[in-house]
Amino acid sequence: MIQPAHIQDRSPLGELISAIAVEARWIIADTAVMSWRNLLRYRRSPELLMFSTLSPVMFVLLFNYVFGGAIPTGDLNYIDYLMPGILVQTTIFSATTTGVGLAEDLQKGMVDRYRSLPMARSAVLGGRVVAETLVSLFVAFLMLGVGLIIGMRFHGGFWPGFSLPFMVAGFAFGFSWIAAFVGASVRNAEGAGSLMFFVVFPLTFLSSAFVPIESMPGWLQWFAYVNPVTNAVDFGRALSQGGPIVANAWPTALWTLGMTFVIGPVAVWRYRRV
Amino acid sequence: MNLPQAVNGWRPEPPAPSTPLKEAIGSVLYEFRWIIADTAMLTWRMLMHYRRNPEMLLSTIFGPLMFLFLFTYVFGGAIGRSTEINYIDYLLPGVLIQNNIFTVLQTGIGLADDMQKGFVDRYRSLPMARSAVIGGRVVATTTIAFFSAIWTIGIAVVIGMRFHGGFWPGLSLPFVVALFCFGFAWISALVGVSVRDTQTASSLTFFVAIPLTFLSSTFVPVETMPGWLQVFAEVNPITQVVNLSRNLAQGGPIATYALPTILWTVLFVFGIGSLATWRYKRIS
Repeated sequence: MIQPAHIQDRSPLGELISAIAVEARWIIADTAVMSWRNLLRYRRSPELLMFSTLSPVMFVLLFNYVFGGAIPTGDLNYIDYLMPGILVQTTIFSATTTGVGLAEDLQKGMVDRYRSLPMARSAVLGGRVVAETLVSLFVAFLMLGVGLIIGMRFHGGFWPGFSLPFMVAGFAFGFSWIAAFVGASVRNAEGAGSLMFFVVFPLTFLSSAFVPIESMPGWLQWFAYVNPVTNAVDFGRALSQGGPIVANAWPTALWTLGMTFVIGPVAVWRYRRV
Repeated sequence: MNLPQAVNGWRPEPPAPSTPLKEAIGSVLYEFRWIIADTAMLTWRMLMHYRRNPEMLLSTIFGPLMFLFLFTYVFGGAIGRSTEINYIDYLLPGVLIQNNIFTVLQTGIGLADDMQKGFVDRYRSLPMARSAVIGGRVVATTTIAFFSAIWTIGIAVVIGMRFHGGFWPGLSLPFVVALFCFGFAWISALVGVSVRDTQTASSLTFFVAIPLTFLSSTFVPVETMPGWLQVFAEVNPITQVVNLSRNLAQGGPIATYALPTILWTVLFVFGIGSLATWRYKRIS
C-alpha cells in the first residue's frame, strides 16, 4: 500500500502527531457538515423555525406584560430582570432539541446510514450540538432585539452586555450535551422529549429566572440556590445590569465545562455503543 | 332513552306515518335519535383511545400538578402580593380553565389526525350521522376535562386551597368548567376540520390558546397589566369564565359573569359548532 507523501519519512512520534492532526481535521470537517445538515432542517421545515423563534418572542411579551406588573423585583425594572432569565430558559429548552433530534435519527435509522459512511462518529452528536447552539445564539439575539424594543436597557456597560447572548449560547452548548446523552440513551423521540421536558421545566422555573428567589418558600430556595440555571441567570444579569461578574462567572464556567467535558464524552460513548 | 339499533348492519326505516305532519316530526325524531346514538358510540371509541394509550392522559394528569406547583410556590410569593385573597384560592379557577382548555384542544388535533390518516373516509362510508364524528370527539374531550377538573381541585385542596363561597356554588365549579370547555371544544373542532393537518392544528392552537389563556385574569389580576392589555383582558371570554369560577369558589357576584359566560358558550356551541359541522360535511 502506498503511504501518502506527508506520512512517509517521519519519525514514529511525527507520524503519531500527524495522524492525530489528520483525525482532528476530519472530525472538524465532519462536524461542520453535520451541523450544516441540521441547520438545513430549519430552512426546509419553516414550522420548526416558527416554533423556535415565535414562541420565545411570545413568552417575552407574555411575561413582561402579563406578569411584569405583579412581580416586584426591587430596583430593577421587570423587563431588565426578566431578559437574562428568559434567555437562559429559552436556549436551554431549545438545546433539548438536540436530544429529541438525535433520538429521532436513531429511531428512523438515519444513524445506521451515518455509521456506514467513512466519517467521525462523534460528528453525529457534535453536529447536532453545534447546530442547536447556533440556533440558540440566533434566538438569543432575536429575543434581545424584542426586549430592547419593549423597554429593556443594558446598565452594565457595552462589552458585558454584548457578551450576554454568547454566554447564554455557551451555557446552552454545555446543556446540549446532556440532551445528546438523553437522546442517545432513550432512542425514542417522544420519550426523549417528555423526559427532557420533565427535567428542564423544574430546572428552569425553580431558579432566579422569573422571580427573585427570596419570594419563594424556604425549602424551594434551597434548591433554587444550588440550581446551575440560577448561576447562569445571575451571571447573565450581572453582565447586562451590572454587578459582580467574576463571582458569578465561576460557577457557570465550571458547570459548562463539566457538562461539555464530562457528559459530552459519556454521550459519545453511549452513542458508539448503540 | 330508547336508542335505535342496527339490524344486520342496516338501519330500520321509521314506521309508516299516518299524516304528513306526523311524518315530518317522526323523521326528525328518528334522525335525532340516530345522531345521539352515533355520537355516543363515537364518544366511546374516543374514550377507549385514552384507555388503550394511557400516556395520552399524562399531560392531563401532570399538567395541572405542574401549573399549580409552579404558580403557587415559584410565582405565588411574588404575584400573591397583588391578589386580595390567598394566591392558591385565586389561582385554582384559572388553572382549571386553562388546563382544561388545553385538554379540549385535543379535539381538533384528533380530528385532523383522523382526516390525515383517512379514518374519516371510513366513517363516511358508514350509515351514520356525520355530525357524530365531531360530536363524539367533543363529548369525549369534555368528559376528560370534567374528570381533570375534579382531579385538579383535589390537588389544590391538598396544597391549601379552600372554598369560601358556599357548598352549592363550589360543587357546581367542575360542571361550569366542563360546560365552557364543551363550548371551546367546538372552536378546536373547527380548526381541526379546516386545517386537516395535525402539526398545523397543534401549532395553531398553541399560538392562539397561550395568549388567550394568559391575557386574562387566569394568573394575575387584570388591574396589574398595562392599560391597553386590560382592554383585551376584560373582553376576553376566558376572563369572564375565570371570574365566574372564582366567584363560585370564593364568593362574589355570580350573575354578572354568568351571563357573558353562558352567551359565549352558546355562541361557541351553536355558532362555531354548526360552522364546524358544515365545513366537515363539505369535505369530499
